[in-house]
Amino acid sequence: MNGRSLIPRVAGALLFLSLAATTLPRLVAFVNNARMLLPLRYEARREKQMGPWYESVEALRRELPANEPVALVATPRGVESAVFANYYLYPIRTRLFVGRNNYRDAANEPALPKTIVAVYANRVERTTYDALRDRDLRAGRRVVATPQLSAPSKTFILPIAASLDGPAPETFVIEATIANPNPAAAEVRATFWPKGMVKTLTIAPGATAAYYDFVHQLFGVTDRGWMQVDSSQPLRAAFYFANRGHDDATLLPNATGPATGIAVAPVYRDTKLFVLNPSETPVTAIVAGNPVTFAPHAFITWPVNSVPNVSGEVYAYVATRQLNGRTDFLWPR
Amino acid sequence: MIGLFVTLILFPLAGWSLGRRSLGEAFLFGAGLTGTLLFFAGLVHVPLVAALALIGVWVVGSGVWELKRRRREPRIQLPLPTPYAPLPTILLVLPLVALTFITAITPLSDFDGRAFWVLKAKGIAHERSIDGPFFRGATLDPRNHYPILIPLDSAAILGIAHDLDDRQIRWLYLGLLIALALLVRERIGRLVSPAAGAWCAALLVWIPQFVVEHEGGALSAYNDIALAAFAAGAFFELVSAGSPIRFGLWLSFLVLTKSEGLPFALVFLIIGAFVFRKRIAIPAIAAAVATTALFVWRARIPAGDEEDILRMLPTVFGKLHNLGHALAAFPTHMFLFARWGIFWIAVVIAAVLAWRVDRRAARLAIAVIAAMLAVYIGVYIATDWIVSDLIAVTADRLLMHVIAPALMLIALAGYRTKSI
Repeated sequence: MNGRSLIPRVAGALLFLSLAATTLPRLVAFVNNARMLLPLRYEARREKQMGPWYESVEALRRELPANEPVALVATPRGVESAVFANYYLYPIRTRLFVGRNNYRDAANEPALPKTIVAVYANRVERTTYDALRDRDLRAGRRVVATPQLSAPSKTFILPIAASLDGPAPETFVIEATIANPNPAAAEVRATFWPKGMVKTLTIAPGATAAYYDFVHQLFGVTDRGWMQVDSSQPLRAAFYFANRGHDDATLLPNATGPATGIAVAPVYRDTKLFVLNPSETPVTAIVAGNPVTFAPHAFITWPVNSVPNVSGEVYAYVATRQLNGRTDFLWPR
Repeated sequence: MIGLFVTLILFPLAGWSLGRRSLGEAFLFGAGLTGTLLFFAGLVHVPLVAALALIGVWVVGSGVWELKRRRREPRIQLPLPTPYAPLPTILLVLPLVALTFITAITPLSDFDGRAFWVLKAKGIAHERSIDGPFFRGATLDPRNHYPILIPLDSAAILGIAHDLDDRQIRWLYLGLLIALALLVRERIGRLVSPAAGAWCAALLVWIPQFVVEHEGGALSAYNDIALAAFAAGAFFELVSAGSPIRFGLWLSFLVLTKSEGLPFALVFLIIGAFVFRKRIAIPAIAAAVATTALFVWRARIPAGDEEDILRMLPTVFGKLHNLGHALAAFPTHMFLFARWGIFWIAVVIAAVLAWRVDRRAARLAIAVIAAMLAVYIGVYIATDWIVSDLIAVTADRLLMHVIAPALMLIALAGYRTKSI
């Protein structure tokens, strides 16, 4: 073997060694991993490889109806997870929504999947839109950081109580803070009208209860109406009608009974007259010169172009949206 | 196991159905042919099951006939084995045995394979159509316009296995690497020397990017090895100035395998014009038919979130700020030791040496590599993605595509140095 024929051999050996230096250890690692997986069923190998995430996908695949499309609602960090969930769920058809707002913006589409799967980086789970909304609201920040508490009172009316979504990002909630300054526990009975749903809370002596979405947290619904609050102890409370999407909030008056004298003020867009009947009996009120009968505990709205005259044993107010999206309320005197 | 048997039988027989060729080439040719025929069948709405049945009958019949004919006819005398043959053969077999064991046991866990390619295979196998609801937005398919030759091959396996589980098609991706290695061994063996072929094949199956990389390697379901293999088929046809029909078929496979296949086919056609002269019309027609079919199919279905390269290219002059990143992309990745060892350093040195030995073959290899890297650099400049991010996830895979001409240069250089 002469020197010249040695050169390509040495060069070739160097080249080969440079490749094997990386490939061989990794190949050995893969083989060892495969040996470890060998005794397991194939699905169990996937579980071992992908962890609890794959287990959650597997459980979901067993649970979901095969012929019904599914909305994969992913957090921005969960998009990759959604892509793979889509892969393992197939032939179940999926549609990806990055963020809850993306899903709700498609609310009017007839083909919008009704079954929702929440996708996180580490798991997937079947859920509901309300649960996703609550997750987002809970994780977010309340609009009002330092609520202005009312004077102590045992009974009052919230003229609007809502947990609703407008077009994204508008999300309407009631942010509530209820303080019990008394030495005794307060039994608080909240009634959500006109559905008549009742929930009783207990607030310990000296304690303060805070809610980021009072209606949904108490009643588990997304709806609107008004609320009667009755307490065994005088409470200091603040209820804000908040739009989380626009980060604005309006302090609600703690009304005590009928009131109709709405001050004339400029109105903007989406202006509505709200009338509620706080009594147990039907009431006839005059709305813009016309007699209207309201069922007990009714909650009625009309679109209006200006502030109308209302009289009678009802509580009436106007809501209007400024061009910047903020909701203004014109309360009765 | 059904997937393994289908992979082992269907594609080689399909490859042998159009003439005698080595096992590696038969496998690749068969995979390309099956996918292409299914694509055309799907395009004209021939039910894919019927098309697959016809292909099955044809390939089994003609493949078996070809095998019988081969037994009757005298064997072609290959050059005598060199003293180097046993060692490179052992080195070739070792990682392939390991990969076979890993493929049999370990579930698929890559990104693009699951997110795009195998998902398409599942969609086609489930709907038995290439433009059904899956491709029309009924479900999430992020890269809807990606070419589907390999997903069609995979769908054929899934369909025959009556199982949408990806374990059935893992063999196809390993098969593509093995077939590429065998093709390299056989073709370089014939064009340069058997020892050179054996050593180049052995080198190929030890390149980390081909063997152990999660993104693009044989254990993934990316289509880069397939593209590299079809490009290898076209390249060897070009160097040997072989059949323009076969050359055209390889180009068609390129077009229908990955989006990069179209510019690759154009590069091959331009370079091939100097080799095939007037006969270049035949591969040009084949590539044009495949391209037209691809565009007709794409026109029928909504686009995904993939970049439209053709629409992007005119914007290249407005994005020259990407030039620095783009020019640095390949040199940077070529010298990534963990993925390529000193392979590309060897290729650069080999290019200089090979030029002195066989100017024609070296010129073709260098032209293919340089032209394709230039095209990819152009795409990097024109991209709307963050160019550094795109380079990070694609450059190594793009380098895979030109592996055959790179190995050819090494083979030529080794041959030259020995023969001095």
